[in-house]
Amino acid sequence: MSAIRTRGLAKSFRSGLRARSVHALRGIDLDVQEGEIFGFLGPNGAGKTTAIKILTGLIRASAGEAWIGELPVASPESRRRLGFLPEGTFFHEYLTGREFCDMHARLLGIPRAERADRVQQLLIRVGLEKSAAVQIRHYSKGMRQRVGLAQALVGDPALVILDEPMSGLDPVGRREVRDLILGLREQGRTVFFSSHVLADAEMICDQVAVIVAGRVVEAGYLADLLGGQVGGVELVAEGIGEELSAELSRAARRSVAQGARHLFEFSGEDTAEKALDRVREAGGRIASLVPTRRSLEDLVIERSAPETDR
Amino acid sequence: MTPLFQPLKRVAVLAQNTLREAVRNRLLYNLLFFAILMIASSVALAELHLGDRDRIYRDVGLSAIAFFGALIAIFVGINLVNREIAQKTIYTLLSKPLYRWEFLAGKYAGLVGLLAFQVVVMTLCFLGVLWLQNAEITAGLFQAIGLIYAELALVTALALFFSSFTGSYLAGMFTLAFWIAGHLLADLRSFGAHSEVEGLRALTEALYWTLPNLDRLDLKSEAAAGLTLDTGRVIAAGAYAACYSLGLLLAAAFVFRRRDFQ
Repeated sequence: MSAIRTRGLAKSFRSGLRARSVHALRGIDLDVQEGEIFGFLGPNGAGKTTAIKILTGLIRASAGEAWIGELPVASPESRRRLGFLPEGTFFHEYLTGREFCDMHARLLGIPRAERADRVQQLLIRVGLEKSAAVQIRHYSKGMRQRVGLAQALVGDPALVILDEPMSGLDPVGRREVRDLILGLREQGRTVFFSSHVLADAEMICDQVAVIVAGRVVEAGYLADLLGGQVGGVELVAEGIGEELSAELSRAARRSVAQGARHLFEFSGEDTAEKALDRVREAGGRIASLVPTRRSLEDLVIERSAPETDR
Repeated sequence: MTPLFQPLKRVAVLAQNTLREAVRNRLLYNLLFFAILMIASSVALAELHLGDRDRIYRDVGLSAIAFFGALIAIFVGINLVNREIAQKTIYTLLSKPLYRWEFLAGKYAGLVGLLAFQVVVMTLCFLGVLWLQNAEITAGLFQAIGLIYAELALVTALALFFSSFTGSYLAGMFTLAFWIAGHLLADLRSFGAHSEVEGLRALTEALYWTLPNLDRLDLKSEAAAGLTLDTGRVIAAGAYAACYSLGLLLAAAFVFRRRDFQ
C-alpha cells in the first residue's frame, strides 16, 4: 500500500494587488511506498513546501487529490500516525523541550501513564535529555531541529514528513539527521523528506522525485535513475599545444588548464575517445582518464535547467 | 473514551498551553500592575472628592477592572492567535489530528480562563481597598463584575474572529473600534433618530441591532451607587453576551477552516 499518493495535485495562490494567479504546483503525481525513504528534491521555489503543506493539512489543494495511507488529507484522521517537522525551527519558545513534546503527545491522545516515559526516551534519543527543562528560546539551531524531530516522532508515526531537515545544520548535525532517518527506515517507518542538500539525499534515499516549477520532472528509484549511467569522462592530458587545447576545450563540457596540465570533462564516451586519439597523435601524455558516475546533483541540475530557463 | 471526549481533551491541551504562554508574557503583568495601581489610587481620588467616598472607591475600582480587562482581552488575545500564525508555531499543531475549530476553541478557552484569573486578582484588590476603607460591599458589585467578565469574553470572541482572517494590527484596530462603538450604540441610535436623513436613520438602527451592544452589560453606575441589580436583567445580559460570543466563534471557525497557512 502507498504511504502517500497524490494525483494531479495543484495549488495556485493569488498574489499582488491585481490578484494575479501564481501556480505553485501544476498537477503532481506521487507514490511513496511504505517503509521507504523518499526524497522530494528540487531548487528553491520549486513547490516542495507547498506540496508538503497540502499533505499535512496546512493548505488546501486547488485541484487534484492526495491521500495519506487510505485517508484523504482533508481528514484530520489522516494525520493520526503522521509525524511532521516543518521547514525552519518555529516552535513555542516559551515552552521547555519536555513541555513542548508533552503537549504534542497529549494532542495525539497518548495516555498519561505512557507519556512521560515516551517523551523522556525521545529526548534521550535526540540528545536533549540535559536540556529538557530549558526553554526552547535558549536552544541553538541544532537543538531546535532535534526538539522538532522529537515532537514529530512522539506519536510513534508510521509516516514521517520532514521539510528540509538538514537545512542550516553543520556537517555533524546533518550526519545525525541522516542516521536518524536511516534508523526510522530500519524500524519500518516511511520517511518523506524534502531537501536541496543532494549529496545527503543520494546517500539515504530509496526513491526520489525531482520537482521543478511545480512539476515532477523525474521520479523513480535512485538505482534506476543513476545506476550504471556514466555521467561523463574526465581526461587529464599533459604536453599538448595551445591549439589542441583550444580544440578539445570546444568539445568538452568543462575544461581547466593549470601549467602544462589540461583537464577536460566530456559528456560522452565517443567524444572522450576521439580526444584521446588526438592527444596521442599530437605526442601528448595521458595523465589520467576517469569515467565519472552520474550523480543526483547532475540529474537535478540537468532536469532543472530547461524549466528554470523558460 | 467517547468520540466527543477526545476533541474536548485536545481543546483543554490548547487552552492550557495558551494560559501557559500568557502567564510567561510580561505584557500581562504590566497591565495587571497598572490595573492594581489604578484601583489603589481610588483612595487618593476619594480624598480629593467631597461627595460619597464609597461611590468613588466602587466607581474607580469597577472602571479599572473593565478597562484593563478589555486591554488584556484585545492585545493579549490578538497576539496569542496571530503570533501562532506569524511565527509558524501553528504548523506543528495543525499537522496533528486536530480540527481547526478545536484550535480556536482552545485559544478562546485559554483566554477566557486567563481573563477569569485577571478579574479575580483585580476583584480581590478592589475588595481589599473597600474593606480597608470600611466601604460597603454590596451584592450589586459582584453582579456588575460578572457582567464585566461577560463583556470581556465577548471582546475576546471579537478579537478571535478578526484574528481568524487578518493580521495583528488590523484585528487590533477592528476589535478596539467595535469595543468603543459597542459602548456608544445608544447614543448613535439616538443621533440617528434625530436625523432627517432617512438613510442615516436606517443605518444607525441597523448598527444598533447588529453590533455588540456592550452598554447592556455595563451596570457599573448602578453598582457604584450601591444598588442591588435586578437578577433577571443580569441573567438576560449574560445570555446576550454568551449568544453573541458563540455566534462570533462559529463565524471565526467557518473562516478559519478555509484559511491557508503559506
